[in-house]
Amino acid sequence: MKILVCIKQVVDPEKVEYNAQTKTIKRNAQHLMNNPADLSALEFALRIKDVYKDVHITTLSMGPAECESKIKELIEVGCDSCVLLSDKRLAGSDAYSTAYALAKAIEKLGNFDLILCGESSLDGETSIVPPQIAEYLNIPHIAFASNIKVLDLQRIEVERKSKNLLFKFEVKLPALISVKKDRAFLRLPKLSLMIKALSYTPQILSLDDLENFDFDKVGTEGSKTLVDEFVEQKLEEVKCEIYEGLEAAQIDCIADLVMRFL
Amino acid sequence: MEYFLSEEQKIIKKLAKRISDEYVSKVAIKYDKEGIFPRDILDLLAYTELTGVYIPKEYGGFGGGVMEMCLVVEELSRNCAGVAVSYAATALGVYPIILYGKEEQKRKYLPKIAKGELIAAFALTEADAGSDVSSIKTTAEKKGDYYILNGSKHWITNGGEADVYVVFAVTDKSKGPRGISAFIVERGYEGFYCGKKEDKMGIRASSTTELIFEDCKVHKENLLGREGTGFIIAMKTFDRTRPGVAAMAVGIAQGAYEHAVRYAKERVQFGQPLSSFQAIQHMLADMYINIEAARAMLYSTCRMIDSGAKDFSKESSACKVFASDVAMKVTTDAVQMLGGNGYVKDYPVEKMMRDAKVTQIFEGANQIQRNIIASEIIKEY
Repeated sequence: MKILVCIKQVVDPEKVEYNAQTKTIKRNAQHLMNNPADLSALEFALRIKDVYKDVHITTLSMGPAECESKIKELIEVGCDSCVLLSDKRLAGSDAYSTAYALAKAIEKLGNFDLILCGESSLDGETSIVPPQIAEYLNIPHIAFASNIKVLDLQRIEVERKSKNLLFKFEVKLPALISVKKDRAFLRLPKLSLMIKALSYTPQILSLDDLENFDFDKVGTEGSKTLVDEFVEQKLEEVKCEIYEGLEAAQIDCIADLVMRFL
Repeated sequence: MEYFLSEEQKIIKKLAKRISDEYVSKVAIKYDKEGIFPRDILDLLAYTELTGVYIPKEYGGFGGGVMEMCLVVEELSRNCAGVAVSYAATALGVYPIILYGKEEQKRKYLPKIAKGELIAAFALTEADAGSDVSSIKTTAEKKGDYYILNGSKHWITNGGEADVYVVFAVTDKSKGPRGISAFIVERGYEGFYCGKKEDKMGIRASSTTELIFEDCKVHKENLLGREGTGFIIAMKTFDRTRPGVAAMAVGIAQGAYEHAVRYAKERVQFGQPLSSFQAIQHMLADMYINIEAARAMLYSTCRMIDSGAKDFSKESSACKVFASDVAMKVTTDAVQMLGGNGYVKDYPVEKMMRDAKVTQIFEGANQIQRNIIASEIIKEY
């Protein structure tokens, strides 16, 4: 079984710097992190691999060369191979362009039985890249999955939780599933895999490697949406106090706290 | 400070640090308070393959040495020395097998220990035989294909939790230290019981118990090395594992120092942070100097041992003594710096001070270590 997981390298929101003139986020390698929702999708892929030994997991990322250091971390948890689609002509691509480029890269990489994505990225939060990739590839798609179960290598069962309802879908493969963030926390790395990652170099694809690629569909020019404005949000600081200790002492602390606000 | 660790060693340290910061720190206070054995953390160390860092490759380990073991112990100790010693005690229990085990003994135990499927312990100390190892009274009488063990052991780390114990017993009383032998005893052997669990001042997450042997039958295949080599086995093992205590001490000191620095920057008195007072700055500087000196000595000793040096008792003892004294001083100063907050259990430095104390006591009290060092010095000149 061949599984592909799309993993975006995003800028750590606590360290984000942006260029107000170009209206783009600065992608400093030191401040990059793998998008948490995508890692949730990766954990589902790894769980499938735990059960079915003949599973090959490939990850696909799109971004500048700086992303390579973070991609190595995917090898440390058990991915078999990683691909980075990196080309300056992709700079400024919106969700539409990104989905197109990723779909073309997936076509180039081969036939995958299952494609997994996070529901959204921390920086873009559009949630529309996964369904658009599925549309380009002409395969079924289920969004916001909370669990995935392989039935028999040709069919999977996908659960989606929505408030008080639980939806269960049975989908024929190949299919693309986007996974709800925080549904599965990515496992710890293994020492032997960390050593393997030391010398691992992801496969780098440029747009010239992709077949029948329409260059007019990517980059700032090819994007359907343009960022109009960046406005920095000042978050209100929430003060958290933790009281630990014996029950009576905790009650005294909480009573003192209540008195302060009376 | 840059210690020029290899890429692999940096990875081991990074992985151990991650487990320490993300998992150990969350349970340290609870496990200390309730005396909970950290089996869940040991499982994580097994999953990440850190349980096998010092086991030879041919037996399923990473193939590292004392340095790799110490890097893990140091990082775990930054958040909880009780967790760290539960990990390190397996190393103490398994080094006799690595050093003196027969091929079949190595094949039977080392791969499972490397995978974290088995936990080990080292059983030497008795009520009347602590630093005076040669006074042990537990006996092993040979009858046919078996040795019959009788006696008891005290203060055995991982007691009651370990699956495999290396037990030292007298096989020939007339020969003194040359009449001691070492045996591999598995949990569940008939006549082998776990006794009282100690209620300790520090490292409370670790299990320390009495072990009792009542006509315990141990097959002769479980004899480690030759009969009568137990004392040598114990001493050669200690030479390799004393740096583990030093690593624990460096880790405890580092943890206390980090808390002290953060507190000094946050705590405001007389309208300014504590860190702006020179008296505090000097304390922080002394902490840093002492910790780095202890770490440098520890890493140098580890490198010496792992390079294949033949005799390193003096260096091994010296780094244990120095680092444990540093841990005691640094944690005491950290408690002092935090004042009332340092003396209560809301902040971890109080626990660290209690944990530091044992590093001056176990695996040979610092007084006996100074005897070893002095004896080696006098032999040299």
